[in-house]
Amino acid sequence: MKINGACHCGYITVEGEADPEKVNICHCTDCQTGTGSAFRVSIQVPGSTFKMKGQPTKYLKTTADSGNPRVQAFCGKCGSPIYSTTPGEGQQAMYIVRVGILAQRDQLTPKRQNWFRSARPWVTGMDGIPKNQKQA
Amino acid sequence: MRIDGGCHCGFISYQGEADPAKAGICHCTDCQVLTGTAYRVSVPVDEASFKISGTPAIYVKTADSGNKREQAFCPKCGSPIYATSPGPGPKTYSIRLGTVRQRQQLMPMRQIWTRSKLHWVDDLASVPSGDSKR
Repeated sequence: MKINGACHCGYITVEGEADPEKVNICHCTDCQTGTGSAFRVSIQVPGSTFKMKGQPTKYLKTTADSGNPRVQAFCGKCGSPIYSTTPGEGQQAMYIVRVGILAQRDQLTPKRQNWFRSARPWVTGMDGIPKNQKQA
Repeated sequence: MRIDGGCHCGFISYQGEADPAKAGICHCTDCQVLTGTAYRVSVPVDEASFKISGTPAIYVKTADSGNKREQAFCPKCGSPIYATSPGPGPKTYSIRLGTVRQRQQLMPMRQIWTRSKLHWVDDLASVPSGDSKR
């Protein structure tokens, strides 16, 4: 399916063609810190279809258990996370785009949860947490 | 309770006194975009106890209500750090839970803006899971 999105301030926009089956949650502690939240949700977008406007700030994360360095791209003006990818010059083979910035995010249901051993214990019991439809 | 934490690259670190009963989730669309994920989780810390080292980047977000909020993030690694009100104090810093070292001990006690909640977040127990990448 076609996906498109933008950071909060609008400086960065992205689009591409992605398989909605390739939506994953990552509960690793790096993703908790990088989102400031409980987990990350991302979709794989092949580099051959990935287009972007604006220049994100890139952070090279080297703390993975695997030893693999990853480029973490975010908007330098508003801080919205945009994608991660492999280090290197030019277009990369795959971009792991952050679902929260995509216009289609409500249609992109995660199919797999990785690093579940570090998941926040409450994430599977959200329905039990009191809710306000708006702010209160 | 005492909390401390920081961004992923270590440029920003902070500490303060947080009330665990006030940890909460925000499902608003602004928070979805600014975290790149499904929702935000935060805990408030009063200005009096809040200490930060390193200078975060500040993005001023204007809500539908017209209210302005300063959104602070690490300029080097992008980790969200806090939101607060612009201008002179007294301020409350809404600290992003994923950056708090004691996050294991902090449970969200309420959810706001659930009308824009992504439909799948209540069903995570049914999404296959594993303890590593694939």
